Amino acid sequence: MESVVNFFQYFWDIRETVTAMAGRHAWMSLFGVLLGTFTAVPMGIFVSRNKRVSGYAIDLAGMLYTIPSLAVLGFFLPFLGLGWMPTIAALVIYSWLPILRNTVTGIVGVDASIKEAARGMGATSFQMLVRVELPLAMPVIMAAIRTVTVLTVGITTMGALVGAGGMGDLIFQGISMMDNNLILAGTIPVATMALLFDQLLGLLERRLKVSAGIT
Amino acid sequence: MTREISVELRNVDKVYDTAKVVDGVSFSIKKGEVLVLIGPSGCGKTTTLKMINQIIPHTAGNILVNGEDVTKLDPVELRRSIGYVIQYIGLLPHLTIEENINFVLQLTKRPKKEQQERALELIETVGLPADYLKRFPRALSGGQQQRVGVARALAADPAILLMDEPFGAVDPLTREQLQNELMRLQETIKKTIVFVTHDMQEAFKIGDRIGIMKEGKLVAMGSSMELVNSDDEFVRDFIGRGALFDVLDTISVTRVLRKDIPTIREGEHFDKESKMNGWDNILVLDERDAFLGYVSIENIDASGKISGDAVQRVADAFPAELSIKKAIEEMLYGGRTWLPVAGDDRVFKGIVTFDSCAGLLSKEGGS
Repeated sequence: MESVVNFFQYFWDIRETVTAMAGRHAWMSLFGVLLGTFTAVPMGIFVSRNKRVSGYAIDLAGMLYTIPSLAVLGFFLPFLGLGWMPTIAALVIYSWLPILRNTVTGIVGVDASIKEAARGMGATSFQMLVRVELPLAMPVIMAAIRTVTVLTVGITTMGALVGAGGMGDLIFQGISMMDNNLILAGTIPVATMALLFDQLLGLLERRLKVSAGIT
Repeated sequence: MTREISVELRNVDKVYDTAKVVDGVSFSIKKGEVLVLIGPSGCGKTTTLKMINQIIPHTAGNILVNGEDVTKLDPVELRRSIGYVIQYIGLLPHLTIEENINFVLQLTKRPKKEQQERALELIETVGLPADYLKRFPRALSGGQQQRVGVARALAADPAILLMDEPFGAVDPLTREQLQNELMRLQETIKKTIVFVTHDMQEAFKIGDRIGIMKEGKLVAMGSSMELVNSDDEFVRDFIGRGALFDVLDTISVTRVLRKDIPTIREGEHFDKESKMNGWDNILVLDERDAFLGYVSIENIDASGKISGDAVQRVADAFPAELSIKKAIEEMLYGGRTWLPVAGDDRVFKGIVTFDSCAGLLSKEGGS
């Protein structure tokens, strides 16, 4: 009981540092997810036109996904230097597989009869994409974006190793000082943030009626 | 009567790799005509249909829509000018019924107001309540969804409708209902319709003409009566032995009515000198020309007066919608040799007899 009180006392004492770090952590995560989404979705659309190409693309994204995050950060260091840049680059690479895969799955999975009806009514390829394929694939794509967001908030902590800042600073400091309070002060806000973002995206999804009529 | 040709196929082939799925098909469809393509699965009927709006491009030959070669038209424009109804309906699940109906109007960016009015008009045309417009497709039954499918195909008021087994995925009761609605609708909209089915009864019911396909070739084409009387062995086998009665079930007795039987109004004097046209009985009508009964010529006295109790009162006249099949059944099971037929206003139209039914067969079939 005493240790819990201690932790809260400690947490309260460093609240300003935590808030600043959390802010930085949040924008890095969000920026990574956004950049990942805006690269992976168009890639997914592009490769979904061809079954073989989309297979290769998903395999490649899968390979990148298996590389340890520490290695990815290290890989980008010579090109992007220290700081937030290699961190964002790593986040983008980790977002690719889930978003790309779900974009392709979502688009390819649109019922053939629906596509045929739309084509038969005179939809151009672009109208087909915008009015039929993307809206119908959107719940699947959104599911990937939510997964990626949770994942990204976690991976961003690794950024502390290359000087990106964020909650990782607290955690790594705590590890080196063997200070559990410090580790917890870093970890709890990260976990909370991941859950919060996931819930916010879910709320956004319902607001925009992404799944209306579909699921 | 010559009518404008709406769709014409000239020696059209479709070849996939080495397989020729459509082989030298030629036919033309007049404006306002319903042509049904039928055949065993894999006979190329659906491919033929889909080549008309170039969902499937043809390999050789010419396809003309309103006199223009489809290969010279923009496929998108071509498809927007042709209504398209498919078996699996293909409503867009993420759009409301209203948005589904207006899909083509949205593609062509018609004004919002026009779209709303059109959707309201069409949902009524296909017999669904207007409050369905705000629902999503999944809230509708299969039959209701296909009604929306038909409404959607009509949205841009195309002159031509392509229907690919449109009622194939609904239950038999709903199917019959949808067929009836389509025929009722067709009386007012008079579209040129190409209709693919594998159901012979449906073909007989809906088609002005029926084309039978086999292994990519069009082996026979003609009215249902012509096909029933075909000498071609495949055609006979395909449509089956019971087909004649299926056809007769689609033809109204008005086609075989005899109107030469003498009639008289109740209470009037019969002029014995008037022509009996070889009949032994006179039909008696009331003052509004509704059928009452008949009287034998022997029961008319010298003065020409018809006594009331001499009139044989039989059951009411049958409606003109009665099919020939039903009329024959009625006569067989009712032990009658003729039936009186009246219009909606109960005005007597004529009588149908076994002979007049048989006359139709020899008239239409005799080759």
